[in-house]
Amino acid sequence: MSENELLEEILKNLQAINSKLDRIVGKKESFSEPSKEDITDSLDIMTLLSLPDHLRTTATTLFEIGPATAEEVSEVTFKERAVESNYLNQLVRMEHVEKYREGRKVYFRIREK
Amino acid sequence: MTFTLAVHSSKGGTGKTSIAVNLAAAYAQDGKNVCLLDVDIRGPSLCSIFKPETNFWVNDLLSGKRGINDTIHDVSDEFGTEGKFFVGYSNPDINEIREIARKDRNWQSAALKNLISGKKELAGKNIDIIIFDTSPGVEYESINAVAASDLVLIVHNSSAACDNCTDQLIQGIYSPLNKKCAIVDNMYHQNVLETQDEKKFGIDVVARIPCMCNVATRNREILTLTDPEHVFSKSIYSAKDKIDRRYR
Repeated sequence: MSENELLEEILKNLQAINSKLDRIVGKKESFSEPSKEDITDSLDIMTLLSLPDHLRTTATTLFEIGPATAEEVSEVTFKERAVESNYLNQLVRMEHVEKYREGRKVYFRIREK
Repeated sequence: MTFTLAVHSSKGGTGKTSIAVNLAAAYAQDGKNVCLLDVDIRGPSLCSIFKPETNFWVNDLLSGKRGINDTIHDVSDEFGTEGKFFVGYSNPDINEIREIARKDRNWQSAALKNLISGKKELAGKNIDIIIFDTSPGVEYESINAVAASDLVLIVHNSSAACDNCTDQLIQGIYSPLNKKCAIVDNMYHQNVLETQDEKKFGIDVVARIPCMCNVATRNREILTLTDPEHVFSKSIYSAKDKIDRRYR
């Protein structure tokens, strides 16, 4: 296997692990499995309370400071920027948060229906 | 920096509104700029104490129809407080209350954002203290107010039901939201002069107010302004001082 093929294989495996972790964390720490309807509604306080601790902290910060970059959220939560970026992208996948670009910066905000 | 308190309880009838109103007035009398907001939009209370003439309500703020400046009213002159005293009222019209009962989660999500946005605007207006008078238990409006606050002032009374439900609120709402809490033990039936634990559920008790019928019968007065020497008023002023020392 060439070096490129090996790197591709590693990346694919990492992405698969990431998806599985999302599913495990969501199943373990949620009070109930969110229905499709739940997921597409705006993020309200009761849904926020049912999120896993790490996502709830991130989502609460977004409520408080408004649209922000991962860096700006990490300054409030005192976590690494890369960690907050991961959490924010999880919230995007759960359709609670949306992201958009302004110039070179990527911003996250609570999704509004 | 603006400090926000949500006066909340697990059960109704614990005295939240009396404590919220008198605490707000105590701060205003102390020279602070205060805004008291009635966020109990399903059971509005402040209208019966302040008797406002208004067309704009906290309901309008939460629904995004109006900004905070339109929905609060300056009562400083009326009550002669040293600091500014603003009040925002919930609409007592039953048709509006029925309409609120139909609101969905999307509305509640926007209401939380509008409440936080209103809070930020008040900070820009040099308001020192914001007090939310909330509905009891786990209602969207009260938990939104808890989420938007710096301190939850839990109004507790000594009943088994209140004990169980307060403990659940602490574990299931306040702690997950990382909220600082303090307790007012209201309508206390034991001897308040006996040495008691200064904590309940692991949370500081900032006031222990004895059960006094004349507080209920004088409920249209703001006792911290009309009768500052009353036992109730002294308890409120003492709680205010403890809150300032420990949490602000």
